[in-house]
Amino acid sequence: MSKWIPLWLHKLGSPPTFYRFAGAVRPWAMGLALLAGAIGLYGGLVLAPADYQQGDAYRIIFIHVPSAWMSMFVYAVMGVSGFMALVWRMKLAEVVAMESAPIGAAFTFITLVTGSLWGKPMWGTWWTWDARLTSELVLLFLYLGVIGLYHAFEDRRQGARAASFLAIIGVINVPIVHYSVVWWNTLHQGSTVNVFGHSKMAWDMLWPLLVMTLATKAYYAASLCRRARTDLLALEGGKDWVRQIAEAEATP
Amino acid sequence: MSRASLPRACAAMLRRDLLLAWRRRGDLAMPVLYAVIVVVLFPFALGPDLALLQRIAGGVVLVTVLLAMLLALDAMFASDIEDGSLEQLVLAPQPLALMLGMKILAHWLATALPLVVIAPLLAGMLHLPTTAIPALLLALLLATPLLSLLGAVLVALTAGTRRSGMLLALMLLPLCVPVVIFAAGAVAAAQEGLPWFAPVAWLGAALILCVVLAPLACAAALRIALDA
Amino acid sequence: MSAMQHLLAVGGDAAAFFRMGGYAAYVWPAYAVFFAVLVADTLAPRLRRRRILRELRGRLTRQAARERRATSVSRSP
Repeated sequence: MSKWIPLWLHKLGSPPTFYRFAGAVRPWAMGLALLAGAIGLYGGLVLAPADYQQGDAYRIIFIHVPSAWMSMFVYAVMGVSGFMALVWRMKLAEVVAMESAPIGAAFTFITLVTGSLWGKPMWGTWWTWDARLTSELVLLFLYLGVIGLYHAFEDRRQGARAASFLAIIGVINVPIVHYSVVWWNTLHQGSTVNVFGHSKMAWDMLWPLLVMTLATKAYYAASLCRRARTDLLALEGGKDWVRQIAEAEATP
Repeated sequence: MSRASLPRACAAMLRRDLLLAWRRRGDLAMPVLYAVIVVVLFPFALGPDLALLQRIAGGVVLVTVLLAMLLALDAMFASDIEDGSLEQLVLAPQPLALMLGMKILAHWLATALPLVVIAPLLAGMLHLPTTAIPALLLALLLATPLLSLLGAVLVALTAGTRRSGMLLALMLLPLCVPVVIFAAGAVAAAQEGLPWFAPVAWLGAALILCVVLAPLACAAALRIALDA
Repeated sequence: MSAMQHLLAVGGDAAAFFRMGGYAAYVWPAYAVFFAVLVADTLAPRLRRRRILRELRGRLTRQAARERRATSVSRSP
C-alpha cells in the first residue's frame, strides 16, 4: 500500500480494530438516526403545512427524496470502496463495498415504491418511463447484479472483487442510461409527464426534508457498521479475536 | 517471442475458435432458430393486424436478436474454462486483452452474424417497411458487436462461478438499455421517414469506445474471476 | 401527552391527521414500506450474526473434543 495513506487508516483497516471501532460508532449513529428521524417526521407530517397544489400527498417527499439520494450515495460509496478493494486488495474495502449493496438496494426499492405511491394520485399513473425513474430502476438491477455476482462465487473474497468490478462498470453505466433515456423521451414525445417542475420549497417543508436526509445518512452508517461487523466475523472465523467473541457471547 | 508473431497468434486464435464453432455447427443454428420462433409467436399473440405489427416490428426484431445473443453468450468461454485452455491463455506471453478480443470477434462471427443475416427475414415477417431495412441492418451491425463486447466482460466476471445463466441476464440488462434505445431509435426514425443518422452515429461511437476498452476490461475481469 | 396536544392543536384532530387530506391510501403505505424495509434491513444481519457465532461455537466444541480424544489415545498405550 502507498505511503501517503495515514497510519490511523492502516490501523483501522485491520479487522479487529475496525470491529471495535464500528461497535463503538453504531449505537451513536443509530441513536442519531432515530432522533433525527423522529424530529424530521414530526416536522414533515405534523408541522409542515399542506401543499397548495398536491395537498397532503406531497408528504411522501420526506421519505422518497432522502431515499433517492441515499440510493445514489450508497452506490458511490460502493464504487469507491470497490475501487479500493481492487487496487489495494483491502479486506475492509471489500467488506464495505459488499455490505453496502443490500442497504443501497433497500433504499432504491423504497424510492421506487414510494415514488409510484406518490405518482398514482399526482399524475394518475403508477409508473412512467421518465429518465429519473428508469435510471432508478436500472440502479436497482445493478445492485441486484452486484449482490447476485457476489453470492455466485464460492470464495467470498474473490466474489467481492468480481462484484466490485461490476460496481465500477455500473458507475460508468448509470449516467449513460440516464442521458440515453432523456434522448429517448425527446424522440417519443407525447406521454412525458413534467413531474419535477418543483418551484422553490418553503422553509417549513425544506427543514424536515434535510433532517430526514441526515437521518437516512446516519441510518446507513449504523446499518453498515452492523453488517460489516457481522461480515468480518464470518470472514475471520478462524482467528483468535473472533473465537474470543464467540466464547464471550455463548448463551449459558 | 518476436513482434512479428503477434499477428500470427491472433490469426491462429481466430482460426481455432472459428474451427471449433464450425465443428459444432448444430449449436450455431440454435440462436437463429430461437429468434425465428420468438418472432413467429408475436403475430399469434397480438393478432395479424398489419398496422400494429408494422409499428412494433423494429423493436421486436432488436429485442429478439438481443435475447438470442444472450442465449449463446453463456457459452463464450465455457468450454475453454472446462479444458483449461483459458488459463493457458492467461499465462501466455501474448497480451491477454488482444487474444480475448480475437475470441470475442470469433464468437460474434459465429453467433451474431447469422442473426444479422436473417434479421431482414424476421423484419419481413412482421411487415417492417423495406425503407427501414437499411437502418435496421446498420443498427444491428453496430449493436450486436457492442453487445458481444459488453457481454464478454460479464461472462469473464462469472467465469469462476457455476450457475451464471440468469445472473448474466440480470447483469447485462442495465448495460444493454442504451444500446437498445439507440438501435431501436434509429429504426423508428427510419420508419417515420426522419433522419436516422444521429442514433447510428452514437452507436458507432460507443462501438469504437468498446472495441478499445472492453477487451482490456474483459482481461481484467478474467484475472479477477480466475484469481490469476 | 404534550406532543398529542400539539398534534391536536396543529392538525385539527387526530382523525384528520390520519386521513391525510384524502391521500391516506398513498401516504401511509409509503411510510409503511419505508419502515418495513429498514426494519428488515436491521434484523437480517442480527440473525446472521447469531447464526455465524453459533456455527463457530459448534466448530470449536467439535475441535476441542477431537483434540481431547487425540491426547487420550496417545496417552493410553
